[in-house]
Amino acid sequence: MRVPLGWLNELVSVEAPPAEVAERLTLAGLEVEALLRVEPAFSGVIAGRVTKVERHPNADRLSVCEVDAGAEGSFVVVCGAPNVRAGMVSAFARVGARLAAGAQDGAPAKENPGAVKPLEAAVIRGVQSQGMLCSERELGLSDDHAGIVELDAGAAPGQEVAALLGLPDTVLDVAVTPNRGDCLSILGIAREVAALFDGRGRLKRPPRGTFTELASAGTGAPAPLSVEIDAPALCPRYAALAMSGLQVARAPAKARTRLRLCGMRPVNNVVDVTNYVMLEQGQPLHAFDLDRIAERRIIVRTAGETHRRVLTLDNISRSLEPAQLVIADPKEVLGIAGVMGGLGSAVTATTSAIVLESAYFDPQAVTRASRRLGLRSEASRRFEYGVDRQGQVTALRRAAALLKGWAGARVLGPVVDAEVSAPAPREIALEMRAVGAMLGAQLKAAVVRRRLRAIGARLAPAGRATLRVTVPSYRADLAAVPDLVEEVARLSGFAEVAPRLPARSFASKRPERRRAMMRAMREVLVGCGLTEVRTLALVAADDNRRYPGRGFLSESAPCGPVGVENPLSAELAELRESLVPGLVRVLRFNLNRQAGAFHAFEVGKVFFRGHDGPAEGARVAAISYGPFAFEGPGGDQRSASFATLKGVCETLIQAFGLGAGLQFVAPGRGFSPTGAGGSATGEPALAVAVPFLHPRRSAFITRENRIVGLLGELHPEEALRLELDQPAVVFELDLALLLAYGLVSSARVEPPPRFPAVRRDVALVVSRETPAGEIVSEFRAAGPEALERAEVTDVYEGVQVAEGRKSVTLSCVYRSRERSLTDEEVNRMHAELTARVLSRLGAQLRG
Amino acid sequence: MARLSERATAGEIEEVRVRTLGRSGELTLLMRQLGGLAPEERRDAGRLLNEIKQQIEARLAELKIRLQQEALRRAVAEPPIDPTLPGLGIRRGRFHPLTVVLEQALDIFESMGFEVAETQDIEDDFHNFSALNFPPDHPAREMQDTFFLGGGLLLRTHTSNGQVRVMESRQPPLAVVCPGNCYRRDELSVRASPMFGQIEGFMVDRVGAVTLADLKGVLGEFLRAFFGPRTNLRFRASFFPFTEPSVEVDISCLLCAGAGCRVCKQSGWTEILGAGMIHHNVFRAVGYDPARWQGFAFGMGVERIALLKLGVDDLRLFFENDARFLGQFPAAGLERV
Repeated sequence: MRVPLGWLNELVSVEAPPAEVAERLTLAGLEVEALLRVEPAFSGVIAGRVTKVERHPNADRLSVCEVDAGAEGSFVVVCGAPNVRAGMVSAFARVGARLAAGAQDGAPAKENPGAVKPLEAAVIRGVQSQGMLCSERELGLSDDHAGIVELDAGAAPGQEVAALLGLPDTVLDVAVTPNRGDCLSILGIAREVAALFDGRGRLKRPPRGTFTELASAGTGAPAPLSVEIDAPALCPRYAALAMSGLQVARAPAKARTRLRLCGMRPVNNVVDVTNYVMLEQGQPLHAFDLDRIAERRIIVRTAGETHRRVLTLDNISRSLEPAQLVIADPKEVLGIAGVMGGLGSAVTATTSAIVLESAYFDPQAVTRASRRLGLRSEASRRFEYGVDRQGQVTALRRAAALLKGWAGARVLGPVVDAEVSAPAPREIALEMRAVGAMLGAQLKAAVVRRRLRAIGARLAPAGRATLRVTVPSYRADLAAVPDLVEEVARLSGFAEVAPRLPARSFASKRPERRRAMMRAMREVLVGCGLTEVRTLALVAADDNRRYPGRGFLSESAPCGPVGVENPLSAELAELRESLVPGLVRVLRFNLNRQAGAFHAFEVGKVFFRGHDGPAEGARVAAISYGPFAFEGPGGDQRSASFATLKGVCETLIQAFGLGAGLQFVAPGRGFSPTGAGGSATGEPALAVAVPFLHPRRSAFITRENRIVGLLGELHPEEALRLELDQPAVVFELDLALLLAYGLVSSARVEPPPRFPAVRRDVALVVSRETPAGEIVSEFRAAGPEALERAEVTDVYEGVQVAEGRKSVTLSCVYRSRERSLTDEEVNRMHAELTARVLSRLGAQLRG
Repeated sequence: MARLSERATAGEIEEVRVRTLGRSGELTLLMRQLGGLAPEERRDAGRLLNEIKQQIEARLAELKIRLQQEALRRAVAEPPIDPTLPGLGIRRGRFHPLTVVLEQALDIFESMGFEVAETQDIEDDFHNFSALNFPPDHPAREMQDTFFLGGGLLLRTHTSNGQVRVMESRQPPLAVVCPGNCYRRDELSVRASPMFGQIEGFMVDRVGAVTLADLKGVLGEFLRAFFGPRTNLRFRASFFPFTEPSVEVDISCLLCAGAGCRVCKQSGWTEILGAGMIHHNVFRAVGYDPARWQGFAFGMGVERIALLKLGVDDLRLFFENDARFLGQFPAAGLERV
């Protein structure tokens, strides 16, 4: 809401500079976002009465005028405007005046007048012109150059035009919150200022004639039209006033200037009156051409089935919903209530009689209609925020007074005020102690009463220490005790409330394990050389196609991605199923910026459409690309590989005490997520291969036969698409797993062993396809109690073993808890164990 | 022995030791033969051999020590290494600045007795709007342009759903903060993002126990801990459907300390969060009796406080993840101001 101070000062007197007014409004919840100083774009322009108009002797389209400029004297001026006529008062630019910059070239002026050369006397087609009469464009008011400015006929010649237009002025740009519809008006802001400057500011009484005395004007005359409300729930009140004898023309220059200062475009005097009153009083008005209303009957009803379309003012045919509120006559729809009028009943240049509509429309109905039609206007916004339930007739009276002055209109009969039922004034019982209980500050009862009176509430005692507060009709937001407490607090200033700390100790009774674990996880990954990134959870549908994240992890039976119904763009059309596409995008982003290596992780949510609707999962994922460790002179540099990222993954898993329970399983090998029994359990089916991972360089991470993560190089095709020179490796892990199983049991601690260990190495030749992990498992499974560890120390493929086979060296460590083992014992155990494993695996000892 | 010079190597020393004193060394063999001699010869020969053995051992030990000392001399006389060369190993990564800021904020709240509770991003209309006193078709809903998912579901537009989720499942007294991501239909720009983080916080206790003054006290404690001990705050009246009274909280501008500058638009104040006393309709929606319970709630944007704290002016940097940006934040977290 833009509030010109010149206008505000007509309604309220306040002894404070504009900056202070702005500050107080801001602190009271009406944030003044800007304080704009508006200077006239011209100087040296005064009011001049045109006393004589003659045709230019040498030019058909020019006139030679005599202009009375009061004390300045009388001047001869050549003028080309079609609207110049004797008797009018216009803007006269004397010799030496400065006009708006660029006005002569056809562009509206924006520069300050100092930059423009002063006006000189000129000879135009043989006649000397001692100045000029100005258009709005020449004054920098608008880009209107069709005629010269017409000032109020009462303006005294010689007066400064800037002052007549109300310039310079300061405009407050106020951000009005949805609860304060009353402040979408100069009057509302004036009330607020008066309340805030209690004692230093007060509302002014409107001067005589501000509100036409309709009672006398229309007494006894028959009502010139009828109003029927068929949809009382959507329109509890509809007041109308007919006027005739008007002449459609321009509104006075000062009014036009004010409309512009408020961000509205002047149209003609009738439309401008409706807008002017709306800005001033907050009540939107609409003007119909009286002669276009069939039977002079206005019917407020829902569109129903018979009228499905209406041609609105902007010449667009709009569809109507049956439940939508419209204004109609017996024949057709005249307009969409509160949103936009119809073209058929619009005021035109030839209109001489009108009906002014001033109604209260249900806010939600207007919100629905304006949203459905995509039509937002100053009027619809006010209806949506809620207008004064009692303000309809006052606005009509104000409009009638203005139309009388601006258009010569006469009132045609009394106001037709159709009101379904007058609402009872809202009363709230306020226990005085409720104020202190909510604010935590003791305010004197007198202060509370004074603040409430300042906002226009009426107070009556209701028992000991309780007030009956009757709130004014324009404050629909005041419905309960906390609303009144807020009024008291904001008018007093929140600075009055001294801070304190809660008396109760809220010391947390639930130690937040999840946070600690998340923090530990991030620590481990950062320590492993990965940098944390954060990407948007909204991705392109394509990302979910390329990086399907569902079905791999332990989340319950997902069946599709979650799409957004109203996405911002195709790039943000779905919720991610996996963190990997975001990591890949960030990798590419950094490579494009000359990064040679990139190692990152993200912790975040993923989303699926499950059988029971959308569901959320949480993941941790990482990407690794390029030189990773031991870089530098003399360093044995390692680049990102399956093994390096597996190392990170293992470190993370071990940090959570989960090492033993997890397996890394090559895709399609020795693993059935549903156990031996097939898919009867409804577990997620094993994807034979993850489409975005390298089929030969990837693995599932499993726990108890369920997939809880994956690890691998990006698929070569994907690497090609992304133009990666080196392999990029990723892993993604189910966070629920880490949080649910990690660090649960307090591990048993044992003292260090007392007896020495004995180590025996063995090299086996097995099929190339046999995973080393399987050999280790066999050793562990078949090993005697004294086998402490069995680990792979080397894998060899090459000329020394047969084609299609490889040699795997294991180190077995034996130890007893009770005594030192002898060489002979160990040799026997090791030989037996090796023999068992060889036969089970069909392996040979390497010779 | 004679061939073993002063400059004998470790290998030569060992060779002599094995040849003389080893299992089948010359001296060892001779000593074994002692058993075949007559007792008197044996004594004399034994004494002689032992003397020889001791001489050899002493000599070998002497040479060994000389050798070690020589090696030590050489070791400290080597050309020095270049200590300015970079170390080798894994370079530590970095935490995302939003994580650092969020964790720091949550630490402060936890130290003040708040629990941390995370709730869901995918919400229904009730928990995101209706229960928070947003009537249907109300303009207040449009302050938060929503992503809809179909089936009555949406992406939460604020973490205030956490209030509803926690309160409907538990009873007061409560002091909870709910961090998380929220979503609104704003293009990614310098000031806005379609996804952003918020921290919702609320405290509920008996009427009169947790008041607007307590809200002011708690937020003051937090803001001073987070932004520095000289941080001032002020409450400005505002409007949120789920609080009444509602306030915007401003802090004294971090750049000019209240003197007025470009960042604070000469006002000396920077908007930091929204807060208020929980609306009675919210209590009714979760089954609390507003005559019995009272509380406050607040919500702040994680990116907002991060921008202010870090002195960054473009929100997109947080989601771009340029390694050169992320690499600037100390791995151990930000120090408290």
